[in-house]
Amino acid sequence: MNGLTYALTAVTTPSTVLAAAGGVLWGILGGALPGLSPSIAMALLLPFTFDMSPLAAIIMLTGVYIGAEYGGSIPAILIRTPGTNAAAATVIDGYTLHQQGRGGEALGLSLVAGTIAGLVGLICLVLLTAPLSALALYFKPPAYFALAFLGLSIIAALSEGSLVKGLIMGVIGLMVSTVGTDPLSGVTRFTFDEPDLLGGIDYIFVMLGVFAVAELMSKVAEKDGGDGGITKTVARVKLPSLQKLWELRRAQAIGTAVGIIEGPIPGAGGTVAAFLSYNETKRWSKTPEKFGKGSEEGVVAPEAANNAVTSSALIPTLSFGIPGSNSMAILLGGLLIHGIQPGPMLLSSRPDLVYGLFGGLFMSNIFMLIFGLLVLGPAIWLVNRPKPYLTAGIFMVVLSGIYVINQSLFDFWIVLIAGIVGYGMRLLKFPVLPLILGIVLGYMVESNYRRSLLLTNGEHRVFFENPLSLGLLICAGLIIGMAILSEIRRFRRSGVEVHG
Amino acid sequence: MRKATLSVSAALFVLAVVYWLAADAIPASRLAGQVGADGLPKLLGLALGVLSLLLAGQTLFEMRRAAAADGGDDQDKGEDRLPGSWREHLRALGLIGIGVGYLLVLPHLGYMVSAGLLLAAVATYAGLKPSPATLLFAIGGGVLFYLIFVKILQIPLPAGFWPGLLR
Repeated sequence: MNGLTYALTAVTTPSTVLAAAGGVLWGILGGALPGLSPSIAMALLLPFTFDMSPLAAIIMLTGVYIGAEYGGSIPAILIRTPGTNAAAATVIDGYTLHQQGRGGEALGLSLVAGTIAGLVGLICLVLLTAPLSALALYFKPPAYFALAFLGLSIIAALSEGSLVKGLIMGVIGLMVSTVGTDPLSGVTRFTFDEPDLLGGIDYIFVMLGVFAVAELMSKVAEKDGGDGGITKTVARVKLPSLQKLWELRRAQAIGTAVGIIEGPIPGAGGTVAAFLSYNETKRWSKTPEKFGKGSEEGVVAPEAANNAVTSSALIPTLSFGIPGSNSMAILLGGLLIHGIQPGPMLLSSRPDLVYGLFGGLFMSNIFMLIFGLLVLGPAIWLVNRPKPYLTAGIFMVVLSGIYVINQSLFDFWIVLIAGIVGYGMRLLKFPVLPLILGIVLGYMVESNYRRSLLLTNGEHRVFFENPLSLGLLICAGLIIGMAILSEIRRFRRSGVEVHG
Repeated sequence: MRKATLSVSAALFVLAVVYWLAADAIPASRLAGQVGADGLPKLLGLALGVLSLLLAGQTLFEMRRAAAADGGDDQDKGEDRLPGSWREHLRALGLIGIGVGYLLVLPHLGYMVSAGLLLAAVATYAGLKPSPATLLFAIGGGVLFYLIFVKILQIPLPAGFWPGLLR
C-alpha cells in the first residue's frame, strides 16, 4: 500500500474520523479556557487514548493541539484574555476589532487563516518527513545515542534564562527514567521493594502532575472564584470573502511561512511564531499604522503562524523522536504508550501510522473549520462558567484519567507528588520541558550508549567514528556552547544593569 | 525567591548524595556489559551534586551583587522573597489534600459518591459558596462522571461497599 492509500484509509475509517473530530472539539473548548494550554488539554486526554488504536490515539492528540490553537483565539478576541499563550498576539488587534463591533469577523479571519496555514504546514510535513526518514538506514546504536543526546542538549536551549536550572531539571528527568528495571541486565533500580515501581515511573503521570495538577494548584491559590464570567457577549463567526482573503494574502503568507520555519525549532513554538509573524507582517504591511487599532492583518498573521506550527512541529518529533515543545512531548508520550518509537525508523516500520496521521491532520484542519463555526456558543458558555466549577471538573477529569492506565491507586500518588513538584518549579522558575525531555529520552540515551559499548567491547571512539553520530554530537556541542555563551552574556548584562 | 532557591539547592545536593548512595547499592550483573546498571545513575548523582552547588553559588553571587548595588541596605528585596504569600501556597497544597482525601475514600465509598464529594469539595475550596447549586453540581457531576467513565468507557473504577449492601 502506498502512502496515499494509508491516508485515505484513515479518513474513511469511522474510529479515526471520530478521533479527529473528538480531539478537535475538545481542543477548541479546552483552548478557549484560559489557563488550559494545548499541552494540558492533551495531557488530560492522554490516559483515555490508552485503549484506542495507536493511529486513532495520535490523531486525537494532534486534533486537540490543532483545535486548541484556534480555541485560544476565542477569549483573546472576545474578552481580551488569550486562551493559550500563542493567542496573546491575537489579543492586540482581535479585541480591538471586537470593540468596534467586528468580533465575528475577527473570529472568522482567525478560523480561516488558521485552517489555510494548517493545511500548508501539513504539505511541508508530508514533503519533509520521507527524506529525513531515509536516513534511518544509517542509524545504528551510536547514532541513536547521539540523537538522544542531541535531544537532551536542547535542554540547554530551552532553559528560559537559567541554564543551570534547566540542566538540573534535565538531570532529574533522567533520574526518574532510571527507576524500575535496568533495560540491559534486568536488575531493579530504585524500586525500594515496591512492585508498582518495577515497570518504572510512567511519564504520563509525571506530565499530568507537572502540567495539569500544578496549574490547578496555581488557580486555587489565587482564589478569585465566584463569578468567572466576564462577558455575556454572544458573537457569530463571520467567514471572510475570497476577496478579503486575497487582500490579506501577504499577512497569510508571512504568518504561514514563519510558523512552518519556527515549528521544528525546539522551544520556539506557537507563541514565538505568533509574535514574530505579527512583527514581520507589520513591517511589510502597506498600512502599519493600523496595527494595534483593529488591523485584520494583525489577526491573520499570528493565527496563521500558530496553526502552521501544529504541523511543522511534528517534523522533529516524528522523524527524530525529539519533541521541541510541551505539546510535542505529550504527543511523544502518546506514541510511546502504544509501543511506537518515533524516530528515523518510524516511516519504514509504520508507514500506516505516519501516512494515516497525515490523513488525520487533514481531517483535523477541516474539522477545525466546521467546529469553529458551530461551537462558538458553547465555548463562550464555558468561558463564562465560574472558575470553581471548571477547577473541580478538570481535577476530576485528571483523577479519573489516571485510573485508566493501570487501574492502580499507586499512580495517583505519583501524579499528586508530581503536582507539588510542578507547583514548586513554577514558583522558583525551574523550566518544565527539560524534566519531560529527560524522562522521555532517558531510556534511549542509556540503552543505546550501553549497547554501543557492548558491540565494541567498551570502545568509546565508536561514537566519533560513526559519521552520523559524530555529526549529531557536534550539533549537540554547538547548541550547548551557544547556550553557555548566552548564559554568560545574560549574567554580565544583569551585572551591568545592577551597577548602572 | 533567592533564599528559597538556596534552600532548594541544599535539598537537591542532599538528593544527589542519597541517589548516588542508592545507585552504589545496585547489584552488579554479568549481563550488564562494560557499563553496569549503576553507571548512568552514579553519573547523574554526580551531575546533580555539581549542578546544585553551581546553583547555590550562582544564587549567592546574585544576592551579594544585589546587596552591593543597594549599598548594603535591607536585603529583603522582592527578588529574595518567594512569589506569593505562604497562605496562597498552603491553599495550593490544600488541593492536594483534597486529592488525598479522595484516594482514601474511593475504595470504600466507590467512584460515583467519591467523585461527587470531590467536586463539591474542590468547588467550595476554590471559592464557591455552599448552596443548592453546589449540591446539584456535585450530585449531577458524580452521576455524569460515573456514566462516562464506568458505563461508556467501561473503566473498572472501584464500586465501594455499595454492591455488598444491595445484595
